[in-house]
Amino acid sequence: MARTVKRWLSLLAAVSLLLVNAMPAAASPAPYDSYNYNYWKEAVPSPDAYLPQRTISGSDLGIGEFKDPGDMNVSSSGQIYILDSGNSRIVVLDAKYKLLRVIDGFMLDGSKEAFSVPSGLFVDENEQIYIADTGNSRVVVLDAEGNLVHTITKPESDILATDFQFQPLKLTVDRVGRVYVVAQGVYEGIMQFDENGQFIGYVGTNKVERDYGEYIWRMFSTKAQRAQMVLFVPTEFSNADIDHKGFVYATNIDPGSNEPIKRLNPSGEDVLKRFGYYDVKGDIRFRNSTGPSKLIDVKVLGNGMYSVLDATQNRVFTYDDEGHLLYIYGGKGNQVGTLKTPVAIEQSGDHSLVLDRGKSNLVVYEPTRFGSTVNQAVTLHYQGEDTEAVHLWKEVLKLNANYDIAYIGIGKSLLMEKKNEEALGYFELGMDRKSYSVAFKRHRREVMKENFGTFLTVAIVAVFVLILVRLAVKWKRRRQIDREAGLH
Amino acid sequence: MKQDYIKFPLHLIFHPIDAFWDLKSDNRGRLAVAFSALVLTIMIMILQKQYAGFLVNYSDPRTLNSIQEILTIVVPFFLWCTANWAITTLMEGEGKFKEIVLATGYSLIPLILIYAPMIVISRFMVQEETAFYYLATTIAFIWFVLLLFIGTMTVHQYTVIKTVITMVLTVIVMGIIIFLGALVFSMLQQLFEFGYNIYRELIFRT
Repeated sequence: MARTVKRWLSLLAAVSLLLVNAMPAAASPAPYDSYNYNYWKEAVPSPDAYLPQRTISGSDLGIGEFKDPGDMNVSSSGQIYILDSGNSRIVVLDAKYKLLRVIDGFMLDGSKEAFSVPSGLFVDENEQIYIADTGNSRVVVLDAEGNLVHTITKPESDILATDFQFQPLKLTVDRVGRVYVVAQGVYEGIMQFDENGQFIGYVGTNKVERDYGEYIWRMFSTKAQRAQMVLFVPTEFSNADIDHKGFVYATNIDPGSNEPIKRLNPSGEDVLKRFGYYDVKGDIRFRNSTGPSKLIDVKVLGNGMYSVLDATQNRVFTYDDEGHLLYIYGGKGNQVGTLKTPVAIEQSGDHSLVLDRGKSNLVVYEPTRFGSTVNQAVTLHYQGEDTEAVHLWKEVLKLNANYDIAYIGIGKSLLMEKKNEEALGYFELGMDRKSYSVAFKRHRREVMKENFGTFLTVAIVAVFVLILVRLAVKWKRRRQIDREAGLH
Repeated sequence: MKQDYIKFPLHLIFHPIDAFWDLKSDNRGRLAVAFSALVLTIMIMILQKQYAGFLVNYSDPRTLNSIQEILTIVVPFFLWCTANWAITTLMEGEGKFKEIVLATGYSLIPLILIYAPMIVISRFMVQEETAFYYLATTIAFIWFVLLLFIGTMTVHQYTVIKTVITMVLTVIVMGIIIFLGALVFSMLQQLFEFGYNIYRELIFRT
């Protein structure tokens, strides 16, 4: 008897083991702590949005180690171009990270020309390669095969000083072939060239932030003292990218700026939306010894999203088109997935690539369930499909109940479906006062409409009763007076 | 009863110049009223932080602390009364300490009367209407300051300019009291530390 019981028990144990879902081992736990900022500007832990998948170095590709790689670009056809600055070459990979070819120079007037410390690279829709050849003071334009199309050299213009040094650092190109160049020592803005390489002018200037203490100090100083003071000049841009509408996204590294990311419209005005709870500037809380985020690259991800790369803490911050911080990943360190000296960020398919100059490799990040759900939901919201985004937002909330944008997203969809009362709760959770007000206004009107009849009835009855009571009191008093007068 | 505890305070906030004089000369002020006003103000302030409508309530619910709220009202209240008494004694003010407490306490009444309904109303406001909420609270505060001003003026029988100077000086003296208090506190702490160290030294020597 005891034996059968034992056998049954062991069978039960075996079955229960089989029933338990074997959890797939986590791909690789992140070597960094993911977090996001809440409404109260506190950094709260968050699930990882992206996890490092692999790294790619020059020796992995069999072409010798990269040396101080400077920039990277993914073309619209999916090829990855890495600018290996120290080796003066361009390494081209396909979307599966297999080596396609290496470009180490081009033919100019029958002789072979090499690059000299190139620091920027861009590939346009026709697979033309634009290289900021800093050491040679020019921008080289090559076609897909590596043949020279033309070069942009030091521009001649009245608005440029005669001793002007043209040292292009980073560049981006719009659909019609206009080239936007971030050049060294140019604080007037981004240099704009037309498709033939003619200098058009500057776009987007960083505003000078006035330090009023300094200003007062200046009033009391002599001319000689003033000459020795620091000049108030705008800061330079650090990088640029372009979206499909032709708006240039630019970053600068001014440490005091609250608007280090700009979205420039064709006339050079900043039109970036900043509707989030806090400034679009990377970390909003940091130690004074570390300093604020230093944004050195920006990548437009499409559907209004963009990522910026911070060189202070080596993190990537991704925002949606309204300026909400979606997620943060990356960090300082020597492990796979942490970064030493990141220089460029790109996107290849749903992977995110960061080029690390310090470690001379390329880090490939892939989105987690959380990250890709957020991406999909933001995309749907951007395209106006808020109702479809709702179930994605609900999934996001299962993974991260602190995600304010998800609450707001669900609230907005409910608002569209005229479920105003339900929307109220979501907006309150997401701390979105503006939308809450809209929902409340509609809800209040509905309630008033519904109950107006009852309210009016009660009011009329109340007034009627009041009048009756008054009359009764009056009548009683008069009777009393009459009685005192002995009339009864 | 009703006359002194309800009708007179309500009369006072609308006719402060006459009423404060009555309060002083006819002895019509009641300390119970002044302290109830203080307690009610504290309660209203706590309720406001907790229950004011979402659109006007910017306080972090996790940091609400009623004891702290009580202290932030009670301490300045008595500090004001003490400092005012100290300064007016030197500046030939005719008011007694009790009268200062009465005048300050009675001045709080408009805050209670306006804030209380505004907490309820703010829950039914939309963004555009919150301007009225801020308007009402500002009016309440100005009313309070005005009453405090007239109260001080009447209780001490001052001219307008002298009252203004006294009020400014009172605020400065409040700062001095806090400074001296902190000084004494830290000195006492050091003295205690010193004594305790000697005691410990003796214990371990023997």
